[in-house]
Amino acid sequence: MAEMWISMGPQHPMTHGLWTLKVKIDGETVIDTEPDLGYIHRGVEKICEARDFTQITTYCDRLCYASANTWSHAYIYSAEDLLEVEVPERAEYIRLIACELQRIASHLMWLGAYCPDIGNLTGLVWCLRERELMMDLLQELGGSRLHYNFPRVGGVKRDLPPGFAHRCKVKLEIFLDRIQEYEALLDESTIFLIRTQGVGYAKAADQINHGVTGPNVRAAGYNYDVRWAHPYSVYDELDWSPSLERPSVKGADCYDRYRVRVEEMRESANMVLQSLVKIPGGANTYHEPGDPALLTKARERATDGQTGFHHYEDSRGESMFYLVGGGEGRGKMPYRVSIRSPMFITIPYASKCMIGYKIADIPAIMGSFDPCIGETDR
Amino acid sequence: MAAEDWFDLRGVVTGLATAVSDLTAEKTIGMTRFWPHKEAFASGMAALVTEVVMATAVFTVIMTTILAILWIERKFIGRLMDRRGATTAFRSLWVGEGGSDATVEWWKDLPFGLGKPIGSVHGWLNKHYGNEHELETVSRVDNRSYLGAWWALPGMIQNVADGMKFMTKEHMVPEKADRVVYEFAPIIIISTTVLVFAFIPLGPGLYAANSELSLLFMMAIFGIAPLGVFFAGWASNNKYTLIGGMRSAAQLTAYEIPLLITVLSVAVLSGSFNLIEIVDFQASSTGGAVWNLFLLPIGAMLFLITMIAEVERIPFDMPEAEAELVEGWWTEYGGMRWGLMFASEYLRAYAACLLFALMFLGGWEAPFEDVLIGLPMVGGLFGFVFWLVPHTGWLLIKSWLLFAVFVWVRAALHRVRTDQILEFGWRYLLPLSLVNLAIAFWLRVSVYDDGPWPLLVPLFITTIAVVLFAILVMDEDEEALEAQRRPYSVQSTSVAAPGARKE
Repeated sequence: MAEMWISMGPQHPMTHGLWTLKVKIDGETVIDTEPDLGYIHRGVEKICEARDFTQITTYCDRLCYASANTWSHAYIYSAEDLLEVEVPERAEYIRLIACELQRIASHLMWLGAYCPDIGNLTGLVWCLRERELMMDLLQELGGSRLHYNFPRVGGVKRDLPPGFAHRCKVKLEIFLDRIQEYEALLDESTIFLIRTQGVGYAKAADQINHGVTGPNVRAAGYNYDVRWAHPYSVYDELDWSPSLERPSVKGADCYDRYRVRVEEMRESANMVLQSLVKIPGGANTYHEPGDPALLTKARERATDGQTGFHHYEDSRGESMFYLVGGGEGRGKMPYRVSIRSPMFITIPYASKCMIGYKIADIPAIMGSFDPCIGETDR
Repeated sequence: MAAEDWFDLRGVVTGLATAVSDLTAEKTIGMTRFWPHKEAFASGMAALVTEVVMATAVFTVIMTTILAILWIERKFIGRLMDRRGATTAFRSLWVGEGGSDATVEWWKDLPFGLGKPIGSVHGWLNKHYGNEHELETVSRVDNRSYLGAWWALPGMIQNVADGMKFMTKEHMVPEKADRVVYEFAPIIIISTTVLVFAFIPLGPGLYAANSELSLLFMMAIFGIAPLGVFFAGWASNNKYTLIGGMRSAAQLTAYEIPLLITVLSVAVLSGSFNLIEIVDFQASSTGGAVWNLFLLPIGAMLFLITMIAEVERIPFDMPEAEAELVEGWWTEYGGMRWGLMFASEYLRAYAACLLFALMFLGGWEAPFEDVLIGLPMVGGLFGFVFWLVPHTGWLLIKSWLLFAVFVWVRAALHRVRTDQILEFGWRYLLPLSLVNLAIAFWLRVSVYDDGPWPLLVPLFITTIAVVLFAILVMDEDEEALEAQRRPYSVQSTSVAAPGARKE
């Protein structure tokens, strides 16, 4: 067959969202790719400039439908950096619990989407079954199933509900058991191994040069986890270590990226179990939406040109919010908001990783990088 | 013909047709003196009527029992995936979280005093079919311990709904499609699939045709559909369908050859291309009294694998790989054409299961019929059961169980890549099928002497097969796991680094 271009997308099972991957193929072999992003650009950064600091959280939830909590927390830490707000320790623990539960749910969504990518629906149903446990827990915290709007500047929306610790512990123990089911379904299946091993090599050095972060770069053996390298919140008070893979000389393949996420789910579950024990009591964690005390002080705290900034380990990599205070002129609203999306950097890299492999490897490689288009296009 | 039973439809039909034809010939040609071939007319008419009635009967049985196949496809895979479909939805009306009732008492909003009786039904359901143990109720979806009516009928009614939907859809043809070929391809696929069943005997008294070369004919018909698939892929004028059609052609060519050689080995062993004689060869009264599964275990395995590839089910569903090719070669088809092609896919899977049962599992013979009847105490009971159940029932049960294996494979495995499929087909299946053929020759020529097989032969072969299988299953290279070796690395061009290839 002669060489030809195939346009995969904007609506295609491989894309996991709304974008186009143009693939040049020679028979069954991919020889060139060209990603085309931006179909669902909503101008979140611009919208945020017209909202006060407590309203922006809601928009940050919408950045990624699979991992809403981590994104709103990423914003909250930057806002607290800008507004110089102290957070009680109990609120930090509750935030950690919420974020790690969200990370588990996000990785389960990833694994659930990855299994049909290489032809198995059972994995999808099993993962969504356990994701439901996490969603129920997050619903107890935030009040809804997908977009929680949970963190507040200076705390969280509300304290843990009564009996949460017990239910959380029971469900996480069930979840830790069920991870072994996924491993029995995937790791012990030769077909899964031949579809993921030796496919989609990505070297750590290349990834760092492109700015790829998160589980993808940890799969390549480079130990960079913001929670570990620059501990924020109370991550340094827990006993944990980032999940890391030992890749081959050619780099990390799809199987490494799968393993690192499964290990990360285990690590997150253990972190939540630890923090349920360690969580201190007493401090006030409840703040009204649009807290008048906070908003009236915003004018003086976030003076003209002052910036707030925070690294944050999202489920998919390092996310950052860069806020510029408006001062007297713009009052309670930021002058400028800039968002660093890890997937905006990873997707072009990933689409170059599949050159030289077969058409059937396109979903296997693309899916293993865990694309999320909501945050990419923002 | 071995294994007669009371359900001798063909005998009844033949008798009736003969009587009617004789009578007709007597009353029409017999009255005149111009055409003397009265007997020829009567026998020809009797044969024609018998064939028409039997073909109708066989197709009726197939089309009715295919519902069981669809039911297995829906319900068994739902069970394997912990997914109950409508059952879960119904149940969520009365089961709440934490072992309680559904938290919202929705029936209280109902008008006309309906709330009270519905509420009491709700209470009864929750008491008898609700959750019991605390751990089992941690979540709405965590209902794997629930042993309610997951097997009930709603899954079948869904087929009717699907059919209605397909019927009412508009027929759309892509603008630049090759219209003639595009319309002709579904005809090829569907008609050849239905034709396969003309030569499948469903029982000693239920078959449409008893041809000397039925197996050969079936395989020939089976091999036409890939041509239709290729036509469909090309004519749709779409890159996805084109790639799907190409893949289908490559895959089916690679798997047809080991399939045919395996079928040949069965024919060699049984000494016939006639499916009915192949079944008779496995029966006790007329043949070797041993199922071919215990004589050709490699053949059975090969037949199962190649048949899964032939009917394009996971793990060999490359031509319709929905993750990368959307739906492969049938992306552009819609409405009832798509529905019928999908139905013909299930018909082909059903035919594959029936063929496996006929060729390797003794056809319509009940499992270990003679041994069970010969048992001292309960033999009479078994004899009564075997007399009561028509032999067709055993064949259908065997093929349904085989389809459950197909579904199990689909739930457990992933999709193999194109190059891996072809490599597996040419490098492993083809040599193995030749080995299997050699074994069949050896068994037929050197070992088999008319009458039952010596018991040692199947025992020996089966033991070796089971041991080999166990070794294959348990074989796990611990060192390779530890070293994280990557034995399956495949990359056809040397440059994979981003940006490295930019002409």
